[in-house]
Amino acid sequence: MASFLKSRRYALTSLLMLSPGLAGFFGLFFYPVLVTIVRSLRPEGEASGWTLQNYVDFLGQSSAREVIVLTFVLAISCTVLSILLSVPLTLLLRRKLRGHRLFRLTILIPITVPGLVGALGLLLFYGSRGWPNLFLTQTLKVIDQPLQINYTLVGVIIFYVWHYFSYTAVTTLSTLEGLDPAYEEAARVSGASPWQVLRHVVIPLIMPGVLAGSVLTFMAAFGAFSIPLITGGNYRPLAVQIYKQISIFTPARWGAASAMAMVMAALQLVFLTFYMRVMRRREA
Amino acid sequence: MKTLKQYLRALLDAKKLLAYTFLLCFFLWVSMPFVMIALKSIGKNWFGKLWLPPDLTADWYKWAIVVTNIPEVLKNSLVIAALAVTIATLIAIPTGWALGRRKIPGKEAITAIILLPRMIPPIAYALGVAQIFYRLHLIDTHIGVAIAHVAICAPYAILVLSSTFEALDDRVLEAASVCGANNMRTFFHVTLPLVMPGILSSLIFTFTTSYNEFTLTLMTYGPKTMTLPVRTYLAIGEGYWEVTSALSMLLIVPSLFVLFMIQRQVQPEKLVGGFKGV
Repeated sequence: MASFLKSRRYALTSLLMLSPGLAGFFGLFFYPVLVTIVRSLRPEGEASGWTLQNYVDFLGQSSAREVIVLTFVLAISCTVLSILLSVPLTLLLRRKLRGHRLFRLTILIPITVPGLVGALGLLLFYGSRGWPNLFLTQTLKVIDQPLQINYTLVGVIIFYVWHYFSYTAVTTLSTLEGLDPAYEEAARVSGASPWQVLRHVVIPLIMPGVLAGSVLTFMAAFGAFSIPLITGGNYRPLAVQIYKQISIFTPARWGAASAMAMVMAALQLVFLTFYMRVMRRREA
Repeated sequence: MKTLKQYLRALLDAKKLLAYTFLLCFFLWVSMPFVMIALKSIGKNWFGKLWLPPDLTADWYKWAIVVTNIPEVLKNSLVIAALAVTIATLIAIPTGWALGRRKIPGKEAITAIILLPRMIPPIAYALGVAQIFYRLHLIDTHIGVAIAHVAICAPYAILVLSSTFEALDDRVLEAASVCGANNMRTFFHVTLPLVMPGILSSLIFTFTTSYNEFTLTLMTYGPKTMTLPVRTYLAIGEGYWEVTSALSMLLIVPSLFVLFMIQRQVQPEKLVGGFKGV
């Protein structure tokens, strides 16, 4: 009896401790999402009743497909380029070359500094009067006209990689440093060349960590809002389009915005589930 | 034999040279935007094909202070961040303790639920938050914007704190009580010093997250609660890039300071990670 009471008290206090977190989750996440879902099913304006019109309107436009494709193109190319940058970078940093602490700190800069500031700096740097263009037109004189990088698709992808590669790089670095050197030792003793060790031992072993990090990069890039808002120009991914619905139109089109937000959330969840499944299969 | 050795050493050096070139390019690629902002914020008459500004001036900072009303905006940012940190920490300490140290059925599921906000694009629930806040008249109040920030900050704080509490060694606590310390003494002299670094890193991290938060602020701010990121966004739209650069320097400095701090105190992978198991 006493132990029963004790275990009940334990369960009760545990629940009490969890309650602030759960309350926060329901109040600040679950309820807002519910409100957004309900709003997306209501007709625009003050009218009541239920309708799928918002979804039909959005998905019926030919531009909807373009926007969704653009969002995926940006997020996926950013993720792939981040992996291609992070793996050689962290392989070098792992060797603890002189000054490696500075480069480690450098990896963290883009995620600590506000995205807006990074975007402003990138626009200045890659602009027609920025240093890369001055170098090409003045020093090398290979081109007459400055290259247009800002507000182009390539430019936006460069900016995305700058902002979001950190997640992949940090996770890859920590995976690499947790790697047992015995595996490489064994491969080397067995006569594998450095390249073979890298290709057949190190890369397969760190792949789960790299993919886990790249999920974070993908999510950040898919949901990116401030970067494309400022640097995107005519390339407006989903998050920006949603914001346009309530910032440009008066009265604000909350219904349309909510429907688009739900489509976006669903796409991200579906893609993440798929990604996780592929990851698990690789690990198995 | 000797020439072969020399040849090999040269090859090794070439490799090292290549490695350093790559690292240097990487460093420049990341840091150049900030150099440009810094130069833009102090440069005068910087037009055309000049590599560096010809004249220096502090005018843009004066402009930034007068035109964009920096003292007020900075005060708003700090008040909102302080409120958000307080609320997020008050939520995260008990929840983190329960998740980190107690036997709870379905712990994995609860952790997944608390991390769910990170799997959905922020704009999706920012819309809902804005609509709820309009109804509750929380738009354009400091506490309202701060509560909106908690939605982003709290999951991070819970994550960091639960892993801190989990790492607390039972044997150390037992040793303290065996040595005759009562609960109070154990708490203040053993538990608290052990978890302090974790709490500190959670505080620092929630603070910068709130100070830099843009999406949720944009959906809930008003003229009375203008924060630095929103002001910077509006200034970029207004097109005075010199003034905007001066404003941006104010956002960079604390961030770089924090970066320096967290590099010393906590492993960075803790801050971005927590997703490996999901």
